[in-house]
Amino acid sequence: MKNMKVLLSVLLALVMVLGTTAAMAEGFSVDVLEVKIWDNNQLAGLQEIADEWTAKTGVKVNIQVVDWGNYWTLLEAGASGGDMPDVFWMHSNNAEMYMNAGKLLDLTDYIAASDVVNLENYYQGITDLYSKDGKNYAVAKDHDTIALLYNKALFDQYGVAYPADDWTWEDYKAAAEAITAASNGEVYGGACNTGNNQDTFYNIIYDFGGFVISDDKKTSGWNDPNTLKAFEFMGTLFNNAWAPQQMLAENGKDRLFLNKKIAMDTEGSWMISQFYNDDNHDDYAWAMLPYEDVNGNGQCDEGERVSIYNGLGWAASADVKDPAAAWSLIEWFSSKEMQLKQSELGVTMAGYIGCSDAFMNAFPGMDISAFLKMETEGTLVFRPYSKYTSRWEDQATSDLVAVWNDPSIMNDTLNRMAGDMNALLAQE
Amino acid sequence: MEKTRRKMTPSQKSQAKWGLAFVAPTMIGLIVLNFYPIFNTVYQSFFKTGDFGMGNIFVGLQNYATVLKGGEFWSSLLNTFKYALIEVPFSVAFALLLAVFLNRKIACRGFYRTVFFLPMVAAPAAIAMVWRFLYNQQFGLINNVFHTTTAWISDPKIAWISLGVIGVWSVVGYNMILLIAGLQEIPHDYYEAAEIDGATGIKQFFRITIPLLSPTIFFILQTRIIGALQQFDLIFMMMDRSNPALPKTQTVVYYFYVNAFQYNNRGLGAAIVLCMLVLIMMITWVLQKTEKYWVFYN
Repeated sequence: MKNMKVLLSVLLALVMVLGTTAAMAEGFSVDVLEVKIWDNNQLAGLQEIADEWTAKTGVKVNIQVVDWGNYWTLLEAGASGGDMPDVFWMHSNNAEMYMNAGKLLDLTDYIAASDVVNLENYYQGITDLYSKDGKNYAVAKDHDTIALLYNKALFDQYGVAYPADDWTWEDYKAAAEAITAASNGEVYGGACNTGNNQDTFYNIIYDFGGFVISDDKKTSGWNDPNTLKAFEFMGTLFNNAWAPQQMLAENGKDRLFLNKKIAMDTEGSWMISQFYNDDNHDDYAWAMLPYEDVNGNGQCDEGERVSIYNGLGWAASADVKDPAAAWSLIEWFSSKEMQLKQSELGVTMAGYIGCSDAFMNAFPGMDISAFLKMETEGTLVFRPYSKYTSRWEDQATSDLVAVWNDPSIMNDTLNRMAGDMNALLAQE
Repeated sequence: MEKTRRKMTPSQKSQAKWGLAFVAPTMIGLIVLNFYPIFNTVYQSFFKTGDFGMGNIFVGLQNYATVLKGGEFWSSLLNTFKYALIEVPFSVAFALLLAVFLNRKIACRGFYRTVFFLPMVAAPAAIAMVWRFLYNQQFGLINNVFHTTTAWISDPKIAWISLGVIGVWSVVGYNMILLIAGLQEIPHDYYEAAEIDGATGIKQFFRITIPLLSPTIFFILQTRIIGALQQFDLIFMMMDRSNPALPKTQTVVYYFYVNAFQYNNRGLGAAIVLCMLVLIMMITWVLQKTEKYWVFYN
């Protein structure tokens, strides 16, 4: 009997030791990492990538989607209350605010010690966005570009030639007006709401040589002469080429496009799956964004065809329970293999340079090479941001409503907007 | 007479202890969730709040100056009053009519009462989503069934009326239930005596029903005014930033939300909310003063 007891206790001790060594294979002290993101379209792909990491380390990854509107409120509440998710997405709108307050885990030493993550392999603009005073707080997860979506069936119906790679914005305007006229206003050429900045009017502003915010983040570009020219051009688009603003007040332009109310739509690469999964996806095609021939030489030169781009970053909370585990997950997501996999799964284009070609094949039957061509044949401009981006961006969205409805007040409104934005920037 | 301090008997002590134990949860909840936040809000209104609650800078009355001198607070206030102007009188009037009709013995009375009360049970977010679909200019049910093209919630001239309609619809049931309860307290003798004296139904309504219902109506008026002045979820869920009708429908609490949570300007938000608090207190005080002129208690 005594021998049995001894045998049993030895067995139990062995099981315990084996059990703990299995879970602590990498020396992590947690069993589960909480991850929060805001894009439901990316969930499946990212969970697949995370599950491979779980298989290696034994730590579960729990990815939760919180929609964009609530994501930041939730994150901020968590940051103030000390209950942030372990790993989460960072965005240009709020990156500085979180870095300044020390809410993000400093990844510099981890990156230096890692052989998987070498910052030179990631887009410089994104890496700079998530660094402060020489320290890195997030690793580039992806980047996006903008392209022109058009409905081939509608173009055929109204006898207008398809968008081509040598289109200028004037060609775009002519085609849009042709469609609007031929359909008697049933179908508009295109649309743009005051909130469609990254995917539409920021691109036009930079094509004309204007800007939105200076590099030192102190001056507004709303009243720059070239920006004014861009807005003047946009003013001619309303009602004859672009749908009236009121139509967009209640319905997003993507919904209008899917319901055949507009024939062309400039969209970012994060929206592809929405159009790919639609019943009429065979009618949809993508072309590069038009350019603006500023120097009048009849061809597209540097800076004349712009795509605004943005990149999310994987960040960890500064108070995370197990920084090594959080870094291990971030390193995994940022590794070349997983960035390639992210492209292949059609999640987004990679933050790792050179890994996005696979993305082009992620949507069989739909040619999305225009997004990649924008990078090689166009100029990438990082999405305008500052410490409190949403303050002046939301203000612009509201202020431009009156201008969209009555382009004659454009110059005065833009001058006032520049003054307001400069005042806000001075307070940051 | 000598005032002696009586010591509590053991049973009184025990009762007192149990009494405290039972009110403790509510008291703790009140203190933690109501009193402390109120004091904190007042405190924060004098600061320019930093991110994540760190680095607050004292600015004195500057937040109040921004609120009271800037135009946005006053235009939001006007919008809020316009909304209250539709919601309160119409909801009370309709509820009164419904209450009188549903207090009689008609068939399926319980069913009708339930149906009218249902909007109160639905979540405000769900209500906003459904009405947003109904009102949509291009794809909405109302425009497609009646073949109209009205921009119900994006035309600055009529958007406030459309939203007021939703407000009335969602609150009529609640008012109606309270009024039915009030109606059932009126003794039948008054009506019988009036019939004998030859009073018509309408005369009975205005001379008997309304005066005797006035305590209930007074309570409903007060609570509905306070509720209408705090309207936020409808506007927030139905109107986008780029809606041309937003400046004409934005309420004070919406203005507060945008500043406090979207712009991280908690100090300004606190100042807005406190100005609103003072305003609502003044309105309530005025209403209390008018009580003795038109409210009859037995």
